[in-house]
Amino acid sequence: MTERRTVEVGALARVEGEGALHLTVEDGAVTEVRLEIYEPPRFFEAFLRGRAATELPDLVARICGICPVAYQMSAVHALESIFEVEPEPAVRALRRLYYAGEWMESHLLHMVFLAAPDYLGLDDAFEVARQHRAEVERCLGLRALGNRIVALLGGRPVNPVGVKVGGFTRAPRPEALAPLADPLRRARGDAEALLHWIESLGVPERPIEQELVALRHASEYPMNEGRIVSTRGLDLATPDFDEHFVEEQVPHSTALQCRVRERGPYAVGPLARVHLNADRLEPAARAAYDRLAPRFAATDPYAGVFARGIEVIEAVEVALSVVEDYEEPRDPDGPAWEPRAGVGWGATEAPRGLLVIRVETDERGDVEEIRIVPPTSQNQARIEQDLRELAPELLSGSDDNARRRCETAIRNYDPCISCSTHFLRLEIERR
Amino acid sequence: MRIRVIGIGSPHGDDAVGLAVAEAVAGGLPEGVELRVRERPGLDLADDLGDADAVVIVDALPGAGAPGRIQEVDPARLAARRELSSHGLGVGEALALADALGRRPRLRVLGIEAGDAREGGLSPAVAAALPRACGALRRLVAELAGERADA
Repeated sequence: MTERRTVEVGALARVEGEGALHLTVEDGAVTEVRLEIYEPPRFFEAFLRGRAATELPDLVARICGICPVAYQMSAVHALESIFEVEPEPAVRALRRLYYAGEWMESHLLHMVFLAAPDYLGLDDAFEVARQHRAEVERCLGLRALGNRIVALLGGRPVNPVGVKVGGFTRAPRPEALAPLADPLRRARGDAEALLHWIESLGVPERPIEQELVALRHASEYPMNEGRIVSTRGLDLATPDFDEHFVEEQVPHSTALQCRVRERGPYAVGPLARVHLNADRLEPAARAAYDRLAPRFAATDPYAGVFARGIEVIEAVEVALSVVEDYEEPRDPDGPAWEPRAGVGWGATEAPRGLLVIRVETDERGDVEEIRIVPPTSQNQARIEQDLRELAPELLSGSDDNARRRCETAIRNYDPCISCSTHFLRLEIERR
Repeated sequence: MRIRVIGIGSPHGDDAVGLAVAEAVAGGLPEGVELRVRERPGLDLADDLGDADAVVIVDALPGAGAPGRIQEVDPARLAARRELSSHGLGVGEALALADALGRRPRLRVLGIEAGDAREGGLSPAVAAALPRACGALRRLVAELAGERADA
């Protein structure tokens, strides 16, 4: 006799966008896992064709309200590789500061408002706020500081503008950055305390085998530059992306899924960055990593929340060193450049992981083709694989428990489906 | 006692009316009344409720009446959805979060009925309501300041 059970979840909470998860279980074995993504694609790649290179950084910022800086950074680096523009060191430093602000905003929101309810067994973030007020206050204070950094460099806190090929439309005066120094010095302790709190919550362990992919820079923790490396030995320059990675269409999703050509699914994000770049962390972040090293011995997706906590400390450290050493760019507009036809690649580390953009321009410097490979579409096949491996453990428990564990497993990747493509209704069919 | 006025809106269409009211009253509020604008309320709005004794929120209201109609809204009616998500944090969620954190300033909410919330500037009906909306806002601020004097 065939055993069959069905579980449905109306909407998966605390992820972005809409979609469904469908698990089919037959006679105790998982026969199918489909992460169905059914929001309409947003056609960004199509409507950016024909736009001027100078418009691109502002336009791609609109793809995501949470990580606009990431889209700006990957796009501007792709353009700079075509136009052979090398930003001066002060501009480079400001871009790291800008990114640090966005990492803080995004990671803090995920750690305390999206992930912590899972570990606390609480229904929602409001309950976390009632029961753990000091930690939530700490989180809000740190996040507001990140917000302030992004607003300072992006000109405004939402849909930032200001990034341009070679520089910024307006670089801050040293006296505008100086007031950030003291709050950042205080923030280090707060970021450490928040990570200690997350560590105290009994985050589950589930060591699994997975290939992790991130940038690696010669001397720094990666944000805007570096080679693409993996835990299974990949090491390539960004323009060789297509030789090693493939984007595939799957029938059940409007998002493209990515695989390592030779092997299959992989994951990007804070977990991948920490695994591949722990030796590049600033001292305070490195100390936190050392304490948590056993959680990074295996490639455990549950350690992602610790990776975010370590990266909040890292972002505070990076931001503080940029602020302390800041000298105004000699030429914030950047060097003069001539539009030309060419192909350029930009790969930077969005809060949720590697974000690759390939741009092709015509002789006027207008966008002829653009391809955007966001972190969530790279992680999607890996999330399905994760659920496929998790599913057998769920068969004996209640449907409610199964649903909760699937949701938590998905949230480990902090998917942002609204960005590129889209997420979630959970359906488990047991037959 | 600190009074704070927060204009909320996106830059597009009638959704910008909260920002437009804030801009119009800037410089004309009683001394000590702080004015802020928020394009994405979310957690920033929860921050705004943290260190003020009284807060007035000015925002567009969607689709329930004639565009430009002005009304005070009971904050309790701005119910939060049960769950937070990073993109789906609105005024209701921010108020619920602030409440959970014990941030409970005296709160008044002024709503202006929006017509067209798409690209472009304010629609004529909403633009015409701006002076009345500014007047209503000044009265709310004066009431709160009066309560301060009585306290």
